Order: sequence, then C-alpha cells, then structure tokens
Amino acid sequence: MAKLADALEEQIQAIFSGDTPWVTIVWDDPVNLQSYVTYVFMELFGYSKAKATELMMQVHNEGKAIVSTGSREEMEHDVARLHEYGLWATLQRGDQI
Amino acid sequence: MAATEGFKRHGAHSYVATFDETEKEVILNLVEQIIELLAERVDHGHEDPLAAMVGITSHDSPPEDEVLHRLLPNAYADDVDAAEFRRYTESTLRGKKQAHAMSIRMLLKSSPEGDVELDHAGANDWLGGLNDIRLALGVRLKIENNNYEHLELLSPDDPLRGVYAVYSWLGWLQETLLTALMDEISE
Repeated sequence: MAKLADALEEQIQAIFSGDTPWVTIVWDDPVNLQSYVTYVFMELFGYSKAKATELMMQVHNEGKAIVSTGSREEMEHDVARLHEYGLWATLQRGDQI
Repeated sequence: MAATEGFKRHGAHSYVATFDETEKEVILNLVEQIIELLAERVDHGHEDPLAAMVGITSHDSPPEDEVLHRLLPNAYADDVDAAEFRRYTESTLRGKKQAHAMSIRMLLKSSPEGDVELDHAGANDWLGGLNDIRLALGVRLKIENNNYEHLELLSPDDPLRGVYAVYSWLGWLQETLLTALMDEISE
C-alpha cells in the first residue's frame, strides 16, 4: 500500500510540477530515406527543416533520437503516427533511457 | 511511352507524375500485395463484435510474418506494455496503412494514361504507401545495417536482382516526390 501511494504521489508530482516523464524514440532503419525521415518529422511535429534534419542525422549517426517528450498519452499518439508512416518508433519513461 | 521522370511540382500543393504501363503494373501489383498482407492479419470471426466496433482486436502479440512485423511494430520494448498498446491500436494502424495503399491503387486504376496528380494529403498517402512497399521489400532483401554489397553482387539470373531494382526505383520515385514537397516548403 505504501508503495502504491508513493507511485501515485510521484505521478501527481510529475503532473503538477510540469514534468514530462515520457519520450518518443525513433530508431535507425536502413530502408527509410533520410529525406523521408526529415519530412515526416516536419510534417508530424511541425519542426523546422533545420531541427528535423538535425534529429534525422542523430538517428542516423547514433542509432536513435528522442523526437518528442510529453505525457504517456501524448507519446502513444506520436508513436502511432510515426508507425503510420513506417518509422520505427517506441515510447518509454524519460528517466529510464 | 517514355519511362517516368518521377514527381514534379505543378503549381501550389500539386504534384504530378506520368507512369508507363509497366511502371503502373509494378506499383499496382505491389500495393495489392500490401493490402492483402494487411488483410490476412484481420481476425476471422473470433472478434467480440462490440470490441471490434471500437477498434479493439484480439491481437496482442506481434505478427509472426517478418514483413507484417516491420509494418506493425511494437510501441514498447516491454512485452506487456507492447501487447496492451497493440490490442487497442493495431487495427487503426492497419486501416491507415491500407488506406495509403488504396489511395495509390485508386489513382493508378482511374488513370488509363498513367497520369497522377496529388494534393498535399495525397502526397502523404503516396509517401507512406510507397514506404511500406520499400519496408516490405527491404525485409525480403535482408537490407540491414546499410549493407547493400550482397545485393550489388547478385548474379544476373538471381530473382532477387529484379526485386532490388524495383526497391531502388521506388526509393528514387519517393525521393522525387520529397524533393517536390521540400521545394515548396522552402519557398
């Protein structure tokens, strides 16, 4: 019970402190074109071409990149849209990367 | 008829391409395979009708087929979370992918001359649909870690050589559409 209360308190704190503990990660994929990945980031997240290109290069060079942060529900939405366009995306808690 | 020059911008938010008969057939054949593959994943009568109505499926494990698995990947590294997410979202994702493929099929079928004109939404459908085909072919061609050497060295009579040629051509076609779209954005 104490453990449950702790977990709940942590979540409530996260909500009220404006913490955004979830992240969407895009993983490198040898099939997806670099220009396509950049375009999808611009289209889905409204990122500038510069920011989208930077993220794409990070995916390409480091194997993955955090492309968005927010609540779990928001990240699930982002992952679903990235999957729709064939990008290899997952979500996870930001403190567990 | 000359082979396609790919997509070009045609005024604001309009992108055009012309395909010859062979090119049309190749794309049509591939999108139909994608549509069929996704349809195979649909349950056959095991569904709770109410659950099905709101998009919940009985699928909570990833597809065994390698291509389907790439098209419908896990959203979480954790298996339990991945299964839960899949149960509530996979049928929507399948529907969207089928819609992309069907949009390509519809336009090609309704154009006897092979002329295709896309608006912004249509362009996104084509990008997503062409990308799904490339992902599927990529699995079959075992394209991993940006290693294309084994494909460049295929003997002329290897059937995979033709598949690789189509894969490369679709990548080029996708790139022409992306160039046309980006060109507009940067203006």
